[in-house]
Amino acid sequence: MISFKNVNKWFGDLHVLNNINLEVEKGEVMVVCGPSGSGKSTLIRCINRLEPIQEGEIIVDDMKVHDKKTNMTQIRAEIGFVFQQFNLYPHMTALENVTIAPVKVRKIRKTEAQELGKEILKRVGLGDKIQHHPAQLSGGQQQRVAIARGLCMRPKIMLFDEPTSALDPEMIGEVLDVMVDLAKEGMTMIVVTHEMGFAREVAKRVVFMDDGQIVEVAPPKEFFTNPKSERSKVFLNAIL
Amino acid sequence: MLETFNFRVILEYMPLYMQCFAATLWLSAVSLIGALSVGIIACAMRLSAFRVVSSISGVYIESIRSTPLLAQLYFFYFGLPSLGIMLPEWVTGVFALTLNSGAYYAEIVRSGIQAIPNGQIEAGIASGLNYFQRMRYIILPQALGMTIRPMLGQAIVLVKDSSLLSLISIMELTRAGQLLTSDRFMPAEGFLTTAAFYLIIYYMLKGFSSWSEKRLIFREAH
Amino acid sequence: MWGFYFSELVRSLPFFIKGLWMTVAVSGLSLIMGTIIGFIWGIMRTSKNKVLRYLIGAWVDLIRGTPFLVQVFIVFFILPGIGIELEAFPAAVIALTNLAACFICEIVAGGILAVSSGQREAATASGLSAYQQLRYIILPQALRTILPPLVGQYVLLVKDSSVVSAIGVVDVTRVGWLTVQRIPEGIMVFGLVGILYFVICYPLINLSNTLERRMTVAATKL
Repeated sequence: MISFKNVNKWFGDLHVLNNINLEVEKGEVMVVCGPSGSGKSTLIRCINRLEPIQEGEIIVDDMKVHDKKTNMTQIRAEIGFVFQQFNLYPHMTALENVTIAPVKVRKIRKTEAQELGKEILKRVGLGDKIQHHPAQLSGGQQQRVAIARGLCMRPKIMLFDEPTSALDPEMIGEVLDVMVDLAKEGMTMIVVTHEMGFAREVAKRVVFMDDGQIVEVAPPKEFFTNPKSERSKVFLNAIL
Repeated sequence: MLETFNFRVILEYMPLYMQCFAATLWLSAVSLIGALSVGIIACAMRLSAFRVVSSISGVYIESIRSTPLLAQLYFFYFGLPSLGIMLPEWVTGVFALTLNSGAYYAEIVRSGIQAIPNGQIEAGIASGLNYFQRMRYIILPQALGMTIRPMLGQAIVLVKDSSLLSLISIMELTRAGQLLTSDRFMPAEGFLTTAAFYLIIYYMLKGFSSWSEKRLIFREAH
Repeated sequence: MWGFYFSELVRSLPFFIKGLWMTVAVSGLSLIMGTIIGFIWGIMRTSKNKVLRYLIGAWVDLIRGTPFLVQVFIVFFILPGIGIELEAFPAAVIALTNLAACFICEIVAGGILAVSSGQREAATASGLSAYQQLRYIILPQALRTILPPLVGQYVLLVKDSSVVSAIGVVDVTRVGWLTVQRIPEGIMVFGLVGILYFVICYPLINLSNTLERRMTVAATKL
């Protein structure tokens, strides 16, 4: 579904992605973790070309993201992206936030999009908040709207960039619950996170990154109980 | 002199004042619409990735901001005829006002756009919205909402600036005052009445500004 | 023809330089006096005395609500009526000083109010008098907020000074107006006028922007 082939990226002199090779299968839930600055956010931001790469290939659903000639609109319509800072549009209601892209990008009729939007907002537990503005919602509620916004495009892939890092502890659970449900329904997901409970519950594989490189890839059980590299051990000691 | 403030003369000239009041309002309104349009275009040009486009807009904005409106007004009033372009005075006046306020509006809109957190633009990109869609649905609505107060402030400035049009013989509020002064040697009646009319416009615009801010109370996400 | 006009213009340069000095003189005097008066009014504007706050606020509003041209006419034409005979230059300086003082008053008041109330509380708790608080705690901090818009206001005042040409003060704009009667090439003549204003204003605008950037950095460093 998604493949990275010999991907390299620099920010000036900083080598932020170092020879990345990775394959993500359809329906797989992958967790990416690692210390700050390891390149994990950059990794997923390259998938929908929020960040460009200098070397290598990124292929999503047989489409070449790395090729400058590729029209990204189609690809982005298939990828839902959830940001750490939610990034909801403050001047729109929850319903408007989730329907704007389906209407403008997928060209669905507004009434149809609104039906879909209401359904998905209900699914994430916010059926009674569809007319609310982001400022009237808690952090956890906002992030769930952000997830709904991604889902309304009926994407093939959902990417999550530290979705719970900006939340107060008591709201993390409600967001993770939505993500777990999504995973169980078979969505292809890549999640950058420190929430190891989530990884243990639904991730097929955990990718550990450090210093721009993929250090270790393993199923969660193996990774947590029997990490192979030294750096993984240090990291796990720090967070567990 | 204050004891002999002649209200009767003011009443006599009231039709003239009303005419000129309407003229000032009309000249300002037309210039305002022009200036907003010019401003949005100049702003878009300024933010363009093409350096030539951005520079042209930059030169325009900086030239306007570094020179007085009166000099710009005279520039067009005396300059256009020497290029063979003969225009009625009021057109020259509106043109100068439009170009002048346009540059300031460009800067106001630019500050509004740049105040929008980058994350929202990324969210727009990630959903597949193209540049124009992001501008139309995400950036501009917020930018315009946030800049209502400076925009109305500039509108007030524009109305006051329209007084300079009296210096190129356009019949508006200030000219009415000049006429009362030159006809009847009554500068107090003349200019204080003029001032009063401007104050009416000022307080109306200020009231509108407060009212619209309350209606559009901008709700920021936390 | 164009060449002839150009050489005439070059011959008029000394006249323009004199006009430039006049602009600098009118602006400079008004800026200095306006800043002093503006600071005093600004401090009064934030005092506990409601009457004082209201009176100054009302005056500032009147000045902000009427065009400067009209104010200049009022000073020049009306004051003689109550016994104050004025020549063009003093009238211009009075009007411009008043304008400067009003706008600077608002800037200063804004800067003072921006200093957090916690500071006042701490100062009061340690026994400092109102005057001492103002001098040692409030004003030094307020100055950081005041400086960039203050310089920006200076630019505006230099540009506003062009309006006094309407009562015959021979500043750069007036020199342009007089010259264009002899040399009917509006673009050249007022192009030169524009350049002369640009030379004064552009560096000031940059200074204001630089100050604003430095102040923002300093604030975030805290």
